[in-house]
Amino acid sequence: MKDERSLILLADDDPSIADTLAPFLERAGFHVLTVSDGAAALDKIHSHRPALVILDVLMPRMDGREVLRRIRRENSWLPAILLTQVGESSERALALEEGADDYLNKPFDPHELLARIRAVLRRARPGERSLSTSWTLLSHDLTLDRRARRASLKGETLELTPKALAVLEYLMTHPDECVSRQRLLEAVWGWEYPAGTRTVDTRMAELRRALNDDPEKPRYIETITAEGYRFIAPVKGE
Amino acid sequence: MKLFSSLREFITALFNARLTRLVLTALPAVLGLLATVYVQNFLQPIPILAFRVDIGMAAFVFGVLLTLFLGAYFFGDESRGWFARGEMEDVRREMQESRRQFIRRLDHEIKNPLTGLQAALVNMSEVSADADRHRAGENARHALDRLKRLLADLRKLAELEARPLERLPVDIPALLEEVAEAIQSLPAAQERKVNLLIARVPWPFPPVTGDRDLLSLVFYNLLENALKFTTRADSVEVRALEDGKAIVIEVADSGAGIPPVELPKIFEELYRGVNARGAEGSGLGLALTRRIVVLHGGAVEVRSRQDDPRGTVFTVRLPVGKK
Repeated sequence: MKDERSLILLADDDPSIADTLAPFLERAGFHVLTVSDGAAALDKIHSHRPALVILDVLMPRMDGREVLRRIRRENSWLPAILLTQVGESSERALALEEGADDYLNKPFDPHELLARIRAVLRRARPGERSLSTSWTLLSHDLTLDRRARRASLKGETLELTPKALAVLEYLMTHPDECVSRQRLLEAVWGWEYPAGTRTVDTRMAELRRALNDDPEKPRYIETITAEGYRFIAPVKGE
Repeated sequence: MKLFSSLREFITALFNARLTRLVLTALPAVLGLLATVYVQNFLQPIPILAFRVDIGMAAFVFGVLLTLFLGAYFFGDESRGWFARGEMEDVRREMQESRRQFIRRLDHEIKNPLTGLQAALVNMSEVSADADRHRAGENARHALDRLKRLLADLRKLAELEARPLERLPVDIPALLEEVAEAIQSLPAAQERKVNLLIARVPWPFPPVTGDRDLLSLVFYNLLENALKFTTRADSVEVRALEDGKAIVIEVADSGAGIPPVELPKIFEELYRGVNARGAEGSGLGLALTRRIVVLHGGAVEVRSRQDDPRGTVFTVRLPVGKK
């Protein structure tokens, strides 16, 4: 009988992480293959064709970023999650630039990793470029040009602060997904703030004003009480 | 062409040579001196006597001045370096000492939660009752949270250096209201009232140019401290006013106060005063606060008294936004 469980390749040079995460993911119903350096990861990607790859950024022989660059250069849209070690915002921007589908800062709760894996797999269409790796995102009248850092509604450029734009970017690359405030903080702000959830709400209000989106009858962003936000409009990447 | 380029190289080399610069520097003074001697001795027969002495002196003075000027130009850096060397040695020693101190404190901050974690793991593997195992799990998570908070704050501190500051107009009264509301969810804030006083007459607050999120962190930290180090019997007050040049925000409490010897140290990274031993928190809150305020061109100060009437006031000054 063929093994129906999705194969996940986990590449991290720290054995204490690989040894504890692998059984956890196995218990969650995945088949897990672990490697401890970038070159081995690239080999296994070619030989085993995993459904998803989790790459640590700092690895011997070839770092996670380089592995990702190489698989993207081969025109493979294999879903990838980057584990970044440094919380610098420039690094997070790079993660997107190089085509990661999602990223997670160490240290993380393994349940959070599991949630990301499921969300990325759910969004992935085999052989298709994912939204996370598209430079332009379209939804109804809304266009987001990620390279130019510009959003426009019906052809008119929106006046947005850089943070609000980054929030929009994160939501549009994770459509139909309930995104918690905590996660937005981590992904967009890079740090957790004690007063952070309020900070998120402030930017969300700004975003909604710019999008002319009524929170009561939203076209784009829906509030999920006590949970977070969801981008409800269909998104197409280009 | 080749000759020209080598000639030019020759001239450049000549000008760069220390000896050339030295000669060039000294030359005006020497020439001035020669001119004086020449005017005094050899132009005796010419009848403009008074005038020619003046010319001689003028030539000399001009020469000396030019020498001083050239000397400052060519050798100024060198002499400054020579004078500043002692000072630099002091700065280096100070930096080394503060680095050592930081590592000592960091060691301490990591040691405690790790010890807790280790004990919790031993408990978990040795006890069998469900309730005990659950408790051990809770303890482990608590220790882990402390380590995570320390790491997160260390990262913030490092990132403040690297990341560009957002510079947008920030409405301080709205920000303070937001922070005062957000603080209500803290356990320490339960059944406590924070008085917020904002001077609104005769004109509204001008905006401060800066990073709204970072500034919210500043006031959150100060307010959290005020609540953490006081009891329910004490009052906590946040007040803001504008004096034309800056917006002044004070976070005041009627708590136990900070010992005078600790006051100069509380903004240091990982410094813990007597009151703060064993208190929750990374020990980096005030260091972060000061760093953010300074990045905004402002300043933060503290006044505190332990005798009656006692209490502590933190004062933050933020320059009013000039676009």
